[in-house]
Amino acid sequence: MTKAGFTARGSQLSAIAWVRWRLFVNSLRTTRGKLDLVSRSVVWLGFATVGIGGAAGMGTAAFFFVREGRPGLLTLLLWPIFFFWQVFPIMATAFANNPDSSDLLHFPLNYSSYFLVRLAYGAADPATALGSLWSFGILMGVGLAKPGLLPWTLLVLLAFAAFNLVFMQMIFAWVERWLARRRTREVMGVLFLLLLLSVQLIAPLTGYFTTRPRPAVHRFAEILIQGQKILPPGLAARAVAQVSASHLRTGFYSLGLLCAFVLAIGYCLHVRLLAQYRGESLSDTAARPVLPQDRSLRLGWNLPGLASPVAAVFEKEIRSLLRSGPMLLTLIMPLFMLIIFRFGPMNSARQVGTAVPGHSPGLAFPAAAGFALLTLTNLVYNNFGGDGSGIQFFYACPARFRDIVLGKNVTHASILVIETAVVWLAVISLFGKPTVNITIATLIGLLFAAAVNLSVGNLLSIYSPKKFDYSAFGRQRASQITVLISMGVQVLVVGTAGSAFWIARHYGNSWIANLILLLLAVIALYAYRAVLRHIDRVAQEHQEMLVAELCRA
Amino acid sequence: MDTASTICTQRLTRRFGDFIAVDGIDLRVSRGQFFGFLGPNGAGKSTTIKMLTGLLAPSSGRIEILGLDLAAHPVEVKQQIGVVPEGMALFGRLTGYEFLNFAGRMYGLDRETAAKRAVELLDFMQLADQPKKLVTDYSHGMQKKLAMAAAVIHGPKVLFLDEPFEGVDAIAAGTLKAMLQGMIARGATIFLTSHVLEIVERLCSHVAIIHQGRLVAQGALEELRAGVEAQTPVPGEGLGSSGERLTLEQIFLRTVGGMRRTDQELSWLG
Repeated sequence: MTKAGFTARGSQLSAIAWVRWRLFVNSLRTTRGKLDLVSRSVVWLGFATVGIGGAAGMGTAAFFFVREGRPGLLTLLLWPIFFFWQVFPIMATAFANNPDSSDLLHFPLNYSSYFLVRLAYGAADPATALGSLWSFGILMGVGLAKPGLLPWTLLVLLAFAAFNLVFMQMIFAWVERWLARRRTREVMGVLFLLLLLSVQLIAPLTGYFTTRPRPAVHRFAEILIQGQKILPPGLAARAVAQVSASHLRTGFYSLGLLCAFVLAIGYCLHVRLLAQYRGESLSDTAARPVLPQDRSLRLGWNLPGLASPVAAVFEKEIRSLLRSGPMLLTLIMPLFMLIIFRFGPMNSARQVGTAVPGHSPGLAFPAAAGFALLTLTNLVYNNFGGDGSGIQFFYACPARFRDIVLGKNVTHASILVIETAVVWLAVISLFGKPTVNITIATLIGLLFAAAVNLSVGNLLSIYSPKKFDYSAFGRQRASQITVLISMGVQVLVVGTAGSAFWIARHYGNSWIANLILLLLAVIALYAYRAVLRHIDRVAQEHQEMLVAELCRA
Repeated sequence: MDTASTICTQRLTRRFGDFIAVDGIDLRVSRGQFFGFLGPNGAGKSTTIKMLTGLLAPSSGRIEILGLDLAAHPVEVKQQIGVVPEGMALFGRLTGYEFLNFAGRMYGLDRETAAKRAVELLDFMQLADQPKKLVTDYSHGMQKKLAMAAAVIHGPKVLFLDEPFEGVDAIAAGTLKAMLQGMIARGATIFLTSHVLEIVERLCSHVAIIHQGRLVAQGALEELRAGVEAQTPVPGEGLGSSGERLTLEQIFLRTVGGMRRTDQELSWLG
């Protein structure tokens, strides 16, 4: 590239950085913007605590591993970082803070600048921040234990961080692509069904392995250990271990292989980004041939006992959601969580009395059901986010907001019911049947939690809305006020339910907890009804802000 | 208030902080009128139409639609009006049929009627040939037609259209115009804003011009023309002097005083 080319690219990148800064500064002109900043700071303070605490822990562990002459054990730290970096952004999409960079394509931005901007936008993510902090902790630990190893470890961990960053972006870009097309969406659906079916095999397999003589289990573990060595987290650990043992050549090979992974994944990302850069349309309907018109009259759905607008909104929401692959993927996350807890590293630890569901099967159903509710927060706390400029329709039509919100709530409650049923079946397959007492307590607790979340969610959907594209994956910006308050609500709900169980335990009768939760659920449902009764007035009062925020380009 | 008017406003005002977007306007639109609401960019057209349709609350003043106070009877008013707002108010992840069906039910139609009218409207608007296509994949013109279809599905007595012909091709514009003229013939009232003054001139019987938030002219197109022509012609413009009738564009430019700047050149522009 010529010097002029570099200068032009530098100028474009600095212009993009400047415009992001101005957007941030201008957002502070409104009270909502200021509150959003405060909320963002509080959320990031929480993340910083986890990040610094984790970095200290990782650093200490790394220090001892290197000091004891076993730097290869760094792999035990790098694998969890890798998993967190990749899984957290999918499981906790509410914290995603990645603006959509595709708007920039209106400008004569060259491809390499677009690639860099996309990576930079993707880096503004809690997973990246925490992963980087923890890697830094490891670097410090290694550096303190063996200062001569610091520069090499820095190089290795930089490559490891680059791999994680590029891999996360690559996954997002490809999943978004696959979920956008009907054919690939169907293939993914079939794969998911196969996964669900394979869950049924887990219990027999586990039984098989636990009843096998130890050598067989050891052989299996040995295969896993050898396999992980040729994957990026294992390669990074090996690169450090080999150089630590003065095997410079093999150390370089390991780092070289790690860099090759970065390049290979980077190439996969490049394929997607180049297609976006060239202006691909992910829509599959545009290319579809003209179909003969279906003359049979398809009536809208009907929900017995509910008004026609409620049923119409329910139908609209369900149809929209079924065409939103990324949202569907988020909704199936509780099942993955169960599998991770059942077979993940936390289950293999040998601590007694831990609260991890893998150790306490009795906790699996409540935890998974609670997580199912959490995956709905994107929808529940931002009811109108996916409607965009369609919000004007709700204000222009003669339907009451109460009916519109109720239609959305019925949708979310239905999803929760289905998710809970699926999760219950998965728990039976993975952990065994939960006791009647736990099942009832969970269902009552879920009723209480759902009513509280729906009440607060309905209000926040109006007070603090954010436009949300159901079809985009990992390129959304949630309202930080909403994120903070929803976190507070979850803490409150879990705390209250926990207190109920504590009281029940104190009196030695577990049914007391059910009674308390039932009482709380009734109160929460009453509060929900009150919110619904006043929602028309609230929506009217916040009409201007709601329309302005959701109609924003 | 003028009870004979279909649309009637009294000292209608809207402030955004210190800025007055709409400054005490008194509009009168009678039944069956095809009413064009004109103004330069930022004059307050969209703000006014949003207030008239309940999409924006006025800072002060009063709005009556079909004799009903909009503030006191919003639902009753909304049942009788149709709106195509600036952002078109569509739901991208539905098909055209699903959206129209949904719109019909939200406007109080029963399921059968909503479904029948949705099919009819898709046919009429020539949107029926790709039934599986999502609204988000529609072209701008197709989205305009769909928004228009949703606005009329319940048979409104008053139709508010914000820039209905923007981005619409000549064929689609012809379809829309035919539909609108049919509505007028059946006694409906249409209130539209447009920057395409030729279209307004061809369609509208009455016009109002808003400038810097104030209503500077209102009345039948012929009355406005006669009023402006009666004034002394602007030197050098040569209007009215040769006996030709003034076009709406000329009336508009004289009313808002917006002469094009010819003294300034952008020398860097090839």
